[in-house]
Amino acid sequence: MLTELESAMNNFIDIFHKYSLEKGNYHALYRDDLKKLLEAECPQYMKKKDADTWFRELDVNKDNAVNFEEFLALVVKVGIAAHEDIHKDHNH
Amino acid sequence: MSSLMECSLETIINIFHQYSTRLGHPDRLNQREFKQLVKKELPNFLKKQKRNDKAINHIMEDLDTNGDKDLSFEEFAILVGRLTEASHEEMHKTAPPGEGHSHGPGFGEGHSSCQNPNQGQGGHGHGHSHEGHGHSHEGHGHNH
Repeated sequence: MLTELESAMNNFIDIFHKYSLEKGNYHALYRDDLKKLLEAECPQYMKKKDADTWFRELDVNKDNAVNFEEFLALVVKVGIAAHEDIHKDHNH
Repeated sequence: MSSLMECSLETIINIFHQYSTRLGHPDRLNQREFKQLVKKELPNFLKKQKRNDKAINHIMEDLDTNGDKDLSFEEFAILVGRLTEASHEEMHKTAPPGEGHSHGPGFGEGHSSCQNPNQGQGGHGHGHSHEGHGHSHEGHGHNH
């Protein structure tokens, strides 16, 4: 039985596949897939960076798709931003 | 109501803080706190390493990119990314053979209190399945 922390990490795998399985390669988020994911999962982190900017930033190998490894960079970046936001909220 | 991604990140941040606040700097994991976290919270993802203090120290040294002997959340987040990738690979290694995309059990089955955002308060909700998804998690109101 996985722990809460391990299950939380596995949720990112579910999130990725929810959008990556829609079409084409099973492990590819195309530009519009990523946009849908961002809008549904973390809209507040699109204020400074729109979906196209995120896409260009995440698609490191420039194959016009975000693979699972590239997607994890989003998880790490949004996670770090969410941690900063939690501390900001606490200081209010 | 928060999304699955927001809820999952919040869970990870909360668990990090559960350990980081124990000793020393409240927002950094020192070696003892990191060891406790690995043994208690990552027993399946770090199965081989959890009983080996040297291996845990080695992971910590590797993550401690600024070399201050403590792990910030930024440094810890890299471990989150790596373990998620390892778990995904394990799901594919354990997947049943055949066409199409499928996952096996990976490192094991788990319950996340984030699966059903509607019942975060421990109430009992209507477990709805996620359409177009390989598997669905029925809501049992689990909330550990």
